Amino acid sequence: MANIGRRGFVKGATLGALAFTVGGVEVIMAPGEARARNVPFRLLDAHQGDTIEALGETLVPPAREAGIAHFIDQQLSVPPGEALLQARILNIRPPFAEFYRTAIKTIDDRSRKIFGHDFAQLSAADQREFVDRMRQNKVEDWTGPPGALVYAVLRSDAVDVVYGTMEGYEALGIPYMPHIPPEKRW
Amino acid sequence: MTNEKVDVVIVGAGASGSVYASVLAKAGKKVVLIESGPDWELSDLISSEIWGRRVKPAGAPILLEGKNPMGYANQAGWGVGGAALHYFANFPRLLPTDFKVKSEHNRAHDWPIAYQDVAPFYDKVAREIGVSGDAKAEEKWRPAGEAYPMPPMKTFRNGEIFLKGFEAAGIPMVPAPVGMNSVEFKGRPACLYDGWCHVGCPIGALANPLITYLGDARKAGAEVRAMSTVTRILTNQAGTRVTGVEYYDDKHQKQTQEASVVLLAAWSGQNPRLLLNSATDKYAKGLGNASGLVGHFMMTHNVASTWAMFDEDVKNHMGTIAVQYMSYERYAKTSHPGAFGSSFVVAGFALKTSDLAGSRGDLFGPDLADYMKRAARNLAGIKAFGEDQPEMENRVELTSDKDEFGMPLGKLIHSYSPDSLALWNANLEEGLKVAKASGAKEASSGRGGPVPTSHLMGGTIMGTSAANSVVDSYGQSHEIPNLWVAGPSIFPTAGASNPTFTIFALSQRGAERMASQWGTLAN
Repeated sequence: MANIGRRGFVKGATLGALAFTVGGVEVIMAPGEARARNVPFRLLDAHQGDTIEALGETLVPPAREAGIAHFIDQQLSVPPGEALLQARILNIRPPFAEFYRTAIKTIDDRSRKIFGHDFAQLSAADQREFVDRMRQNKVEDWTGPPGALVYAVLRSDAVDVVYGTMEGYEALGIPYMPHIPPEKRW
Repeated sequence: MTNEKVDVVIVGAGASGSVYASVLAKAGKKVVLIESGPDWELSDLISSEIWGRRVKPAGAPILLEGKNPMGYANQAGWGVGGAALHYFANFPRLLPTDFKVKSEHNRAHDWPIAYQDVAPFYDKVAREIGVSGDAKAEEKWRPAGEAYPMPPMKTFRNGEIFLKGFEAAGIPMVPAPVGMNSVEFKGRPACLYDGWCHVGCPIGALANPLITYLGDARKAGAEVRAMSTVTRILTNQAGTRVTGVEYYDDKHQKQTQEASVVLLAAWSGQNPRLLLNSATDKYAKGLGNASGLVGHFMMTHNVASTWAMFDEDVKNHMGTIAVQYMSYERYAKTSHPGAFGSSFVVAGFALKTSDLAGSRGDLFGPDLADYMKRAARNLAGIKAFGEDQPEMENRVELTSDKDEFGMPLGKLIHSYSPDSLALWNANLEEGLKVAKASGAKEASSGRGGPVPTSHLMGGTIMGTSAANSVVDSYGQSHEIPNLWVAGPSIFPTAGASNPTFTIFALSQRGAERMASQWGTLAN
């Protein structure tokens, strides 16, 4: 036990990064880096990616830049038992992609009904108003997973992508103090 | 494929299964643990909010229904160590009143045993795996026992700051007992107080099964088969004995493991699911279910959290996820008028960014960003765990929906009783008063949102006979002598204390009984 070590022990850290595919080769990087390098999505289409980024940015800025869509896309591509999505913690039934697809479809449908445009095309103020209604299950004729559940899942994922990383802790001035630090600082 | 017969097959390598495996393997029994999740090592326990999710449940979900669905995923585990791989290691005991609720209040159930029957095993577990605390300070509320083997943990401003408010409310707070090392213990290092307990402690300062009971069991020869899912318990033709289990291995191949004794030590939702799915002609309602109570009396704890924002930096990144202070002052079942049940009050714990954001789930966008900046320095919390009463309609049942192995999914139905809801509200009100009296400039609670559920108990409760329960006080089936059940599913009432210390103690008691009665069990 003594050689299991103290803070800073790094065995196992290679498990702590996400694998993105660039030019047919798997590259380990953080989601924000994947976004900055325009890594193609594995499962999401462009509109779904834009919508998740818009939702993430509305919930927890700067989730867009931090790579919320690339995080969710990459995690949807791995087996459910290995996924790190909040959907797993909130007992969403796999496949998790179905939850996100249904949620995006419903959000866009209701957004067009209320504001005349898909969610990603709304002004920031209208996006905030829509999310506030969704949070309280107050969007009329909502179908699919409850709005409050969609809010909780997406908000938690965005919180962890923005604040749950070593950079996120640094930005808030909180010492990270890991026993086993994650690779790529997250 | 049929494997060579063993003495004991244990379903689940979590807290209770690990204790049984340790005791029985040391007694010379051939033990196999079948675990549905991975075979984690300490080096897998990365200090990360996101990567910590790996040790939370995966696989087939339990469907959730009722007015207050149980948010079980945070309370359950996946892989060796089970939920005790990422538990908070708060080690309060149940108190004598928890064992005789029916006798004292004509409600709920009596346990078939008393506090005095379990107390020696609390002390034994403390000696075995290490508990830090001040037993003398607790004895204003409970019978005397042995001193804890380690002094209390350090305290920090995020806990100390509430002492004034608790004093004003007439609630004495004492050092909390925890399954963590305040000093080096049996070669395991002292805690570093960096708050990553909830994703698993890789240095061994927190007493998780990997470095305690399960480690001992493996050294004594117990075998763990990870990524293997048990789907049925098998019986002989006469239905007088169980003969082993059917399971799917890590390559999804169907296997049979014969054994002299079968111990169910999966979590509270899964033990009844397995019993119900093992129905035969002779046990049409499910194995060991003559009472019709398998799956019933599922219980949880409601959690009244109060969040307080102070002017000063309370160093909320320091400490452990376990609590620094605790009180049984509101533990008497009638402490809060009109709200029957015990409350267990705690204060002072480290916060991570997910906790900061979770403390105000209603905030988003720029409001959340502003809150996070303030909370990072100035937020601290107190909690009261409230007792959930055993209600027949809170239950696990099978559905027509199947998992990947063809096993019916379980459905967990739970609604709080009016007493539980009243208790939660009373504890929230008191929490806000304590926060204000402590000098908080802002205080908030979760009122208005979903009532949280924490811990899972019941489903295969213990009692005196098959007329009122599923198992006896040791966990032995009333109907099939070589079928045993362990873990919080055998609790007939929930109390308000965090359950794992009691799980370890009851498992130690049950395992010693099994070993001592082996001649009557084996064939």
